[in-house]
Amino acid sequence: MSTSTTALPTTGWNLRYHPKRELWFAWWVMVVFYNLYGVLFFFVTRVQPPPSPAWDTPTVARWFADHGHGIIAGFAIVFLVAGMCAPMNALLAYSMRRMSVSRVFAYSYLIIYSLAAVPGMLVMAMAMTVAAFRPDRDPEIIGWLYDFGFLSFSGTMGVFLIGSLVYMVAILHDKNDVFPKWFGYLGLCNALTEVVVAPAWIFQRGAFAWNGAIAWWINMVVFVLYTGVFIVLLRKMIEREDFGTGRLPDLPAKEASR
Amino acid sequence: MRRPDGELILFWTLPAVAAIWISAFFLFPGFVHPMSPTMSAEQVARFYQDETARIRYSMILFNWFGVGLIPIVILMAMQIRRMAHRTPILSYCLIACAGGPPTIFLIANMFWLLGSFRPDRAPELTQLLNDLAWLTFTVLVPYLIAQCLLLALAIFWDQQDQPVFKPWVAIFNVVVAVALAPAAFTALSHTGPLAWDGLLSFWVKNIAIAVWIIVMGVVLGQNIRAQRAQEQVAA
Repeated sequence: MSTSTTALPTTGWNLRYHPKRELWFAWWVMVVFYNLYGVLFFFVTRVQPPPSPAWDTPTVARWFADHGHGIIAGFAIVFLVAGMCAPMNALLAYSMRRMSVSRVFAYSYLIIYSLAAVPGMLVMAMAMTVAAFRPDRDPEIIGWLYDFGFLSFSGTMGVFLIGSLVYMVAILHDKNDVFPKWFGYLGLCNALTEVVVAPAWIFQRGAFAWNGAIAWWINMVVFVLYTGVFIVLLRKMIEREDFGTGRLPDLPAKEASR
Repeated sequence: MRRPDGELILFWTLPAVAAIWISAFFLFPGFVHPMSPTMSAEQVARFYQDETARIRYSMILFNWFGVGLIPIVILMAMQIRRMAHRTPILSYCLIACAGGPPTIFLIANMFWLLGSFRPDRAPELTQLLNDLAWLTFTVLVPYLIAQCLLLALAIFWDQQDQPVFKPWVAIFNVVVAVALAPAAFTALSHTGPLAWDGLLSFWVKNIAIAVWIIVMGVVLGQNIRAQRAQEQVAA
């Protein structure tokens, strides 16, 4: 253990030698990333909750003129930190390696979700940044960038659909009890949100439009719930981890091995 | 003796693709004196009309060979596997990062090629394609930054008698990550060091990428060679 004779290791020791340092690092990156994501998308760029696809071109142009600085600054931070997705996806893939299923699941999930960030987040950030970069552009072009941004964000479906299903099958098939089975079914709910969002490519108003009750509100609730749940479950997994290969042990009665 | 596994073949593609990247960099007329974001739509359109051929040929080269960086990053992920870690998380991280920069670069590359495909398009549209290309190209840093920082962390955690990389490699990667960071903020300004043709967003960022590729290429090559020599002795 630590070189000091005291029982509790110091923070410095933990950062360097803690047996679960890699797991806790990835977990904290994930927590910080989702918090940043919420702040940047809802409060800095204000692109969430999304404005309406039914707006006319002058309204869209005015929206960009009003939100321009927030959009550019907020997405600049997104460009700076988007790589935080990597440890997050690595931890999720690791949870599948801990299961009794083939490595195919972990590797498929890792690649699907690594690819997801480009059409699902960065393309939107680019389109919005380009629109805000020259607010004096032809409003028709700004309108196209507006559609491009919101539709690439909401309308990137398959990566999350297939990714959630891969995770679901792994969880339901797993014999090591890494996650409770109900979380597998929650993954199915998350996958279904990607199905019901498809009409956002077709409708410009109503519940199925990209800002609608179904395509946005219900989906956001399920996504936040799903994400919150896997953050907590991954934390429990790390606490129980004993680096064996078999079943994950139960937590000791009081103190988790943090 | 160990069967040759082809890692060295992938490694030696690096100098070849690097030479092609450098040639394409100089062939593209918008890089050596980087195009300014303050150019008017008409100036941008005229640039695409005057330089159509060089834009096309340089971007076709980049389209062919831009992804050549992926095998090199995966070779680094394989080095991380040899480190004294308890989980494969950091090698997964590098694999998760590997596809990012070439994918984002390919998007920028397509916009440049689209701009040069019909240079007599309405100037406003050519300017749009040019903005999309330049901003995407300049902000392609997120996975490169992550790659550097994660590699540094992996080295920091590699506590064994003969660590896979020497500690200075970790420090070097942190410095490169810092040098890449300002480019993420390029859209804040049309002029000055942050602008996409500016000191920080263009020169510091691109030179940092080039230096990273050269330095990491050399240490990676040394590692792979040392690893092979060790395995031959052991066999």
